Amino acid sequence: MNILETKGVTKRFGGLVAVNDVSLHVEAGEILGLIGPNGAGKTTFQNTVAGLDPPTSGEVYFLGNKVTGFSPQVMCSLGLSRTFQIPRPFPKLTVLENVLVSTVFGNTEPVADKVKHARDKLDFVEFPLGHNVLCETLNTVQLKRLDLARALASSPKLCLLDELASGLSEVELEDIIAIIRKIRDTGVTILMVEHIMQVIMNLCDRLAVISFGNKIAEGPTGEVTKNPKVIEAYLGVEED
Amino acid sequence: MTQLTQDNSTGFSGILGKICLSPMGLAGLAILFLLPLVPPFNQDYMIRWLISGAIVAAAAVAFDFSAGYLGIVNFGYAAFIGLGAYTSAIISNKIGISPFITIFAGALVSAGLGVLTGIVSLRLRGMFAICFTWFIGIALMGLCLKLDWLTRGPLGLQCDGFFEGNSSLPYYYLILAIMIFTYLVLGLMIRSDYGLAFRAIGQNMEAAMTSGVHPTKYRVINFTMSCFFAGLIGGFYGHYYGILTPELLHTQKTVEVLVIAYIGGRSSLWGGIVAAFPFIFAMELLRSSLSDLPGINLIIYGVFLIAIMVYYPGGVAQFFKNLTARKQRSTSSTAQKAKTAEAGV
Amino acid sequence: MNDSSSAKVIEWLKSAGGITVTCTILVAIAVSFHKGPYVLVNTLVTGGMWALMAIGVSLLFGVMNISNFAHGEYFMIGSLTAYYIMNPLKQYLLETPNDFLSFITPILGIAGAAIVGAIAGIVTDKTIFAQLRKRNREGWLLNCFLITIGIQIILINVHMLVFGNTFKGVVNYWDVPSVAFGDVYVSVDRVVVFGIAMAAIVLFWYLMMYTSLGKKIRAVAQDENGARMVGIQVNGVYSTTFALACGFAALAGGSLLFMFPSYPTVGVAPLYNSWFIIILVGFGNVAGAVPGGFMIALFQVVTRTYMGEGWENVIPMFLIAMILIFKPYGIFATKVRSVWEQ
Repeated sequence: MNILETKGVTKRFGGLVAVNDVSLHVEAGEILGLIGPNGAGKTTFQNTVAGLDPPTSGEVYFLGNKVTGFSPQVMCSLGLSRTFQIPRPFPKLTVLENVLVSTVFGNTEPVADKVKHARDKLDFVEFPLGHNVLCETLNTVQLKRLDLARALASSPKLCLLDELASGLSEVELEDIIAIIRKIRDTGVTILMVEHIMQVIMNLCDRLAVISFGNKIAEGPTGEVTKNPKVIEAYLGVEED
Repeated sequence: MTQLTQDNSTGFSGILGKICLSPMGLAGLAILFLLPLVPPFNQDYMIRWLISGAIVAAAAVAFDFSAGYLGIVNFGYAAFIGLGAYTSAIISNKIGISPFITIFAGALVSAGLGVLTGIVSLRLRGMFAICFTWFIGIALMGLCLKLDWLTRGPLGLQCDGFFEGNSSLPYYYLILAIMIFTYLVLGLMIRSDYGLAFRAIGQNMEAAMTSGVHPTKYRVINFTMSCFFAGLIGGFYGHYYGILTPELLHTQKTVEVLVIAYIGGRSSLWGGIVAAFPFIFAMELLRSSLSDLPGINLIIYGVFLIAIMVYYPGGVAQFFKNLTARKQRSTSSTAQKAKTAEAGV
Repeated sequence: MNDSSSAKVIEWLKSAGGITVTCTILVAIAVSFHKGPYVLVNTLVTGGMWALMAIGVSLLFGVMNISNFAHGEYFMIGSLTAYYIMNPLKQYLLETPNDFLSFITPILGIAGAAIVGAIAGIVTDKTIFAQLRKRNREGWLLNCFLITIGIQIILINVHMLVFGNTFKGVVNYWDVPSVAFGDVYVSVDRVVVFGIAMAAIVLFWYLMMYTSLGKKIRAVAQDENGARMVGIQVNGVYSTTFALACGFAALAGGSLLFMFPSYPTVGVAPLYNSWFIIILVGFGNVAGAVPGGFMIALFQVVTRTYMGEGWENVIPMFLIAMILIFKPYGIFATKVRSVWEQ
């Protein structure tokens, strides 16, 4: 069953075509990696799906229903949550309150003890600090963990992760891979944008490759990484 | 929701905490209750100063409710106060209903305009939203001046008082009750899930939306509540002073409330109350003692505002927070010392 | 005109900006036929100056992220300075007529106003905003907004305290016959004031586009740290920006002294107008400020002509509110989110 399907999604910013006619699907229970060179339109694609930037044309289906152009808060309550490449939480709220926001307002199912639910999610992502710390004091790594807990707190069915692993050390990479695997094991489908090959090879069941807004490949991880088009797109990036 | 994240204190202060009060706050309120009975504050002009203080304090609380939490400065705030005041006065004049009832009618009309403004300003962000509310204020004041068949324009509209007699004391207790009512209602809202939504929207709209918060709904709710209380306070203002002029709707009045709210400290609610009384007293003292230098009190006002913003932007609330934080730190460090001492023994 | 450029013109005419400008011009023509061309003259004279004010506010906003609510008070400083330069000279001239001096008096007054305004701007930046920059960048936008309110309160009341609550104005600048444009007689003062506004706008445009100072200002506006890294003295640029913006406001104040005599709250109406313009055309849009200025002036002149004194803030306000509902970023604005929309 396809949990998410896009048909010919295109996003234009003025004259710039950021995402061009991308059709892909995410199967329930899998981890789909969305890769491509910098500026290829991966984040924009995620934004069009999550409702932050409605697509210029094309259609998005979530759980079999057409959700094109739905607002982010509706998408969240339908069961689609996302993390940000640069986490932008609520700076003057505590860590726990940050997670509580999506527990209370974005949840797909009623939660009896909201605080406990939020604390569980923080423990789930192994948040390293106390829960009453103000968010503005956190560093990037901690913010990414918090953002993940926030995304999970709405009990999503599909979670969009945006470069969760970038900027992490070797040890932290191992941790985050374990955590993402743990998330998948709880039954959450994952669509992740990632650059780090270690994470991709370890986690993704399938890959979709976007270059200059166009999808150039989609398929099982092993096949896609051998695709000459993909290698070309990537080598082009490594030159500069 | 917030109270759950804080340490659940038990006993008396715990119960107080549930209704947004601290022992210190209760003591402060008790002082406010007793103050007009104690010399020298029992003189009529002092009670009048106290009333001005309470009006500004209540207005600052309702103002901070949207400025401090939602991050939208309602720059036309005085116009909402004025709308409530004029509505209440006109209804009670024309139909002859008791002002105790008409002030709620005024509050509802203000709240109604608040709903409209909230809905319309939704698509606007930051300065655009601020300017939009400001323009609404300017337009309302212009209307108030021009519709003189209804408002009597600059001549001033007479309104009935709440009470018979010349004593200001009942008025003081009435505005004190309105102030506490405003604070408790808004404080309880901030403590509920609503407050969490307001703060989330105020701090990061996009993250709030991706977390499932519906910005339209909560912005409108917030605006409506804030404007409701603005109208209520306005109603009191009119029936207390007995005369209303369009000057009440002027941006300058918004600025007065705004200054108090920010000196009190943004997103604290009670900060405005703490700041209002001493500040209004100081202003009135200055004005009466330096009456040969008109406007000197406002100059000091301005200097004070700038100094606070440059050197201490957190305001009074931040000062108290730092104070308690320091106290906690020192007690915990003494506890630490005691422990190490014990271990040493 | 070849096909592609005419297509562009048509495209622009269909945009919100094009429609509004076309409507404004049509209204202006219709009103001048109905009520006489003096409506148009007043629109042009004040509109140019409002544009100048709006450019200053826009500049401060774009470069320093300061939403200046004290901008009208620099207008007031300008008109006050011009009065205290012109009035004594005119008194002196009454006793000892001197052709050259009477010719140069208004010029001295207006130039003096601009200079004093610029100095006031530098002082403001050095004493207040430089301090704030050093200390605390958090919540910059709102803090600055409140500080400018403080400045406004102080300047208004200092004026009241020192110079009193009276109207201080001059009747006219030059005692020479009016200029005739066909059947329409326009006083020299108005023609010159319109010329000053246009000259200042052109000068400003040249300054921003073709001088190193303009490049520095634009660089700082885009990225302060980047500008610092390539060796721009950022603090100096900030002071200059303040001097320019406040100088323009004071220039407007000095030039319009014959229409707006100086008194403590004379700056409030120009402040409203410049914010109307900025909201109407969108933030940081310096080129849009010019048509915006004329538009607002026309709105107000027309409402005053047809509905009477006192309505000139109400009707344009509602119009702008309506426009904002449909174009939340102003009529000329692109949908680029920037710092001041957070």
